[in-house]
Amino acid sequence: MNKLNRDAIIAILLLMLCGIFFWQTFYIREVPFSQVGSEIWPRVVLVLLTVLSVIYLFKSLSEPRPETEPFSLSGWLKTYRNPIICFVMFFVFLLALPYLGMLLAGILFVFITQTLIGGATPRRLVMHALIAVLAVGGMWSIFTYALRVILPGGELFY
Amino acid sequence: MIIDNLFLAFGEVFALNNLMLMAIGVLAGLIAGSIPGFTITMAVVLALPFTFGMSPIEGLSTMLGVYVGGLTGGMFASILIGVPGTPSSIATTFDGFPMSRNGRPGLALGIGLWASFFGGLISAVVLVFLAPTLAAIGLEFGPWDYFMLVLFALTIAASLSSGAMIKGLIAGVVGLLIASIGEDRVNGAARFTFDFDALGAGFAFLPVLIGLFAFSQLLTDMSDSEAAKKPMIAGHQAAVRMQHRESIIEIFKHWGALIRSAFIGLFVGLLPAAGSSISNILAYDQTKKASKTPEAFGTGTPPGLISSEASNNATAGGALIMMMALGIPGDAVTAVMLGALTIHNIAPSPTFITSQPILAYGIMVAYFLANFMTLALTSGALRGFLLVTRIPLYILGVVILLYCAIGVFTLNNTTFDIWTLLAFGILGFVMVKNGFPLTPMVLGVVLGPLAELNFARAVSTSDDYSLFFTRPWALFFIVMALFSAFFPLYQNAVKSGKNWARYYGVAFMGCAGLPLLLMEGWFRTGLGSVMIVLSVLLFLKKRREAA
Repeated sequence: MNKLNRDAIIAILLLMLCGIFFWQTFYIREVPFSQVGSEIWPRVVLVLLTVLSVIYLFKSLSEPRPETEPFSLSGWLKTYRNPIICFVMFFVFLLALPYLGMLLAGILFVFITQTLIGGATPRRLVMHALIAVLAVGGMWSIFTYALRVILPGGELFY
Repeated sequence: MIIDNLFLAFGEVFALNNLMLMAIGVLAGLIAGSIPGFTITMAVVLALPFTFGMSPIEGLSTMLGVYVGGLTGGMFASILIGVPGTPSSIATTFDGFPMSRNGRPGLALGIGLWASFFGGLISAVVLVFLAPTLAAIGLEFGPWDYFMLVLFALTIAASLSSGAMIKGLIAGVVGLLIASIGEDRVNGAARFTFDFDALGAGFAFLPVLIGLFAFSQLLTDMSDSEAAKKPMIAGHQAAVRMQHRESIIEIFKHWGALIRSAFIGLFVGLLPAAGSSISNILAYDQTKKASKTPEAFGTGTPPGLISSEASNNATAGGALIMMMALGIPGDAVTAVMLGALTIHNIAPSPTFITSQPILAYGIMVAYFLANFMTLALTSGALRGFLLVTRIPLYILGVVILLYCAIGVFTLNNTTFDIWTLLAFGILGFVMVKNGFPLTPMVLGVVLGPLAELNFARAVSTSDDYSLFFTRPWALFFIVMALFSAFFPLYQNAVKSGKNWARYYGVAFMGCAGLPLLLMEGWFRTGLGSVMIVLSVLLFLKKRREAA
């Protein structure tokens, strides 16, 4: 048997997830006079998922471990630099949204994220700023004035 | 009846407002489809928030415009830069790019455009006549049969997950689990909320879909830091002009390839969850096999290009037939449309065409019209494509990430949906990086409520659980599900020359014939009998050959 590989770890995580969700099915409210309880279907799904995860676990353990380079945090960060920037910036954008509103938070999100990915030369800074204002401002205007959708205004402006 | 409904639908679709929205949709689809990395599903998903304020026919017409435009737009990048704009135009690169490199980009683009148009047209005609028939068959389905149909859809989606069957199945079941979070649709009890109020209503379909398809796809595309900073193509193709007359002559010269590929596309579209990413390769392969000069394929031969483009556009008609007749999405795009209809409180089912005839036939007319609009707008879109591809990917990507956020917010006016978008964007990204396909998961989310509802109906109607396996239609779908589940094993067995692979097709014919034999009506019983007898004869013949 091989050491735990990435697939095996995912399979174990899935099995843990199944356990947590199965345990939660015991807390689903019983509805009087219902012919099929609300917990039945999720249990059917969870049993199916458990069986598949066990098969996945055995399959991943029985297959030869692929030749991979040893894990290094710096290499990993380098590989996933752009997605990590996007995730973190989107997270920050969401935190800022109630305070700054969609327009300002959106412009800042687009400007900062583009600058972090594309670089901060003076020419690029101007280009990113222009794109952020025009793209976000334009879409914000379409939703606000043409489609009459009220986007978050932000506490700072009230 | 069909003619009356079609006339009424014509009135709705040809309203000026609707025509304008469709034209915008087609243009957006052409551009989005042509940008490598931006899938048609992503384009339709992004168009969805704009349709909330529209009437159902306007919203669906716009999305159909994006869909058909996207299918055709995929050929721009495939032909001009050799990178498929969408997975549905992978086979277009095989002959389109060599033709372009040999100095005939205008002819390649023209053939691609006209083949797409004719493929879509054939599919649209079949859609009008087949959808009501299929819906009539759908009325025979009981909850047991419907449940098994959903199971079949999930199995086929998983089996098409290029060598990752078990991961595809897991993704599909996780989708079912996600769909069960929130209020139970049968009894109204809250499930898996973990005392978090916002989860009481469950996850809205749109943020999940955009997160999984658009958000994760954008991040995957931007992963390569160097490529993300560069424009997709240089400016040397700026003067490309389509050769329409020569292209039409070429297509009529190879009409056999066109018809065959259109029907292959249509058939693949009819299969739940199988989309144009499969049909274009399948049609290309069949055209090559049928050709007298298979060695010319891959060097820039017109039949190869015709087969890919005709089949991917024809797939849309097949997928729409399934969505309208049975309420089962034929591919990821029709899954989005199903979601759009749900937002308008319309649930496609076998009664959809009779209960909502104007809307149903309006969809058919809009699909028909979208093909004509695509034809008319392609030359303009080609210029737009050449402009857009000079923008670095990271600039487009980041702006679209924000558009995703604005789009999902408009659904329920709540920031919880944007958090959902982020969570499913991360989940989708992690899944893709670990080889889990996203389509089965999305289908699980879409079909989960339908599966649960029919499961509950079946169980509360009868204590006899054997009905899930003995009713003819349920048995038919089990056979289809089992054979689609074992299809990847069969493919491996063929490659390694295993003996049992010789009998796979014969076994399928015999097994599929059995439920048909049990069905009502002389045609299906007769067909079932013929299939069983044929399978026995073929089995004996193969055994004799093997001995």
